Amino acid sequence: MKPADLLSFLGRLLVGGVLVYAGFSKALAPAAEFAAALTNYQLFPAALIMPLAIALPWLEIWTGLFLIAGLYMPLASALSTLLFAGFLSTMGVAKLHHVDLTNCGCFGGETMSPKTTFKMDVVLLVVALAVWFANRQPRELTLDRHLPQ
Amino acid sequence: MAAKIGARKGEPFIELVRLYQIWFDTDVMVLKRPYVAVLLLGVPLLVVLILKNATAYGPLLATPAARQKGASNAKVTIVEYSDFQCPSCAHIQPYLQSIMDTYKGNVRLYFKYFPLSMIHKNALAAAHAAECAARQDKFWPYGDLLFQRQAQWAPLADGTTHYMAIAEETHLDMTRFQACMADPSADATVQQDVKEGQNREISATPTFFVDGERLVGGTFAEGGARAVERELRR
Repeated sequence: MKPADLLSFLGRLLVGGVLVYAGFSKALAPAAEFAAALTNYQLFPAALIMPLAIALPWLEIWTGLFLIAGLYMPLASALSTLLFAGFLSTMGVAKLHHVDLTNCGCFGGETMSPKTTFKMDVVLLVVALAVWFANRQPRELTLDRHLPQ
Repeated sequence: MAAKIGARKGEPFIELVRLYQIWFDTDVMVLKRPYVAVLLLGVPLLVVLILKNATAYGPLLATPAARQKGASNAKVTIVEYSDFQCPSCAHIQPYLQSIMDTYKGNVRLYFKYFPLSMIHKNALAAAHAAECAARQDKFWPYGDLLFQRQAQWAPLADGTTHYMAIAEETHLDMTRFQACMADPSADATVQQDVKEGQNREISATPTFFVDGERLVGGTFAEGGARAVERELRR
């Protein structure tokens, strides 16, 4: 096994782990809580808030699990990159509009300052991009490499 | 089988995959990517479903009379979990008051402290001050002024002078108020509400419960009156 395979595996564990944790913490909490956090961004149409509050945690959980397992890696790594890019853009646009975000809503009941979340998301976006780049071809330590279609 | 999947002996992860394959590799079922995908999609759904059904929200504990208002025999109860330093909590107060006025005699309001201390540095001290006012039965006028003057004390490193000024304005006994400000039992009361809120899965303020219905943040301004109407019709 090459060092790059191990690094890619660790990157997948980090990005996937954060996504799974964030998704579960939201999915287990009442959807109204995450919906309120989304409303605070003042970016989404009211009709979209509740569907988004229900769907986004599941997208995070599934993307994270597929990333950790190394299954359908091109799709999972692309989705994880898009998710973090989306989170950063949303927070960036809210900041530009001087929206006072008290809680980003990222981890359900846990309150984390938007500044800390932004820094964390930047790091995770870089790692997710690296994982995406590294997994254009099936690597070791992925189920893609070892399971038949 | 090893040749079929291209696995090499010795590597733990591959051995794990091999074990799975031995388990599943029968005539009717071979571990393939789509099967694992279905497992990964379905198992978390089941886990969340089971956990959500198994976890009951914590109980609503008794609220001291000083933090209740409205008709004592009201048909509908509104429980408000709020943070005096949260801008949305201050912003929602006129809507809440209009509901209390519109449904006078039918609604009773219970106030619960839920200071988000991690992001609002003065929230805990403000809640402590409000609790000291509650102990002199002046919670409502004191809390109203805290919300109205939030912009003045919220940015300060220490808002004590404002808490004192509001106490004087609401005609509190200042000796008792100052003694209470140094009394850790007021903090304990605040923390008890916080714990209760956490047990009820509250993470944002303001959160309202109109009887059983949860309304978080600005949704109360849009749906609070409708929720009260629904409860009254029952």
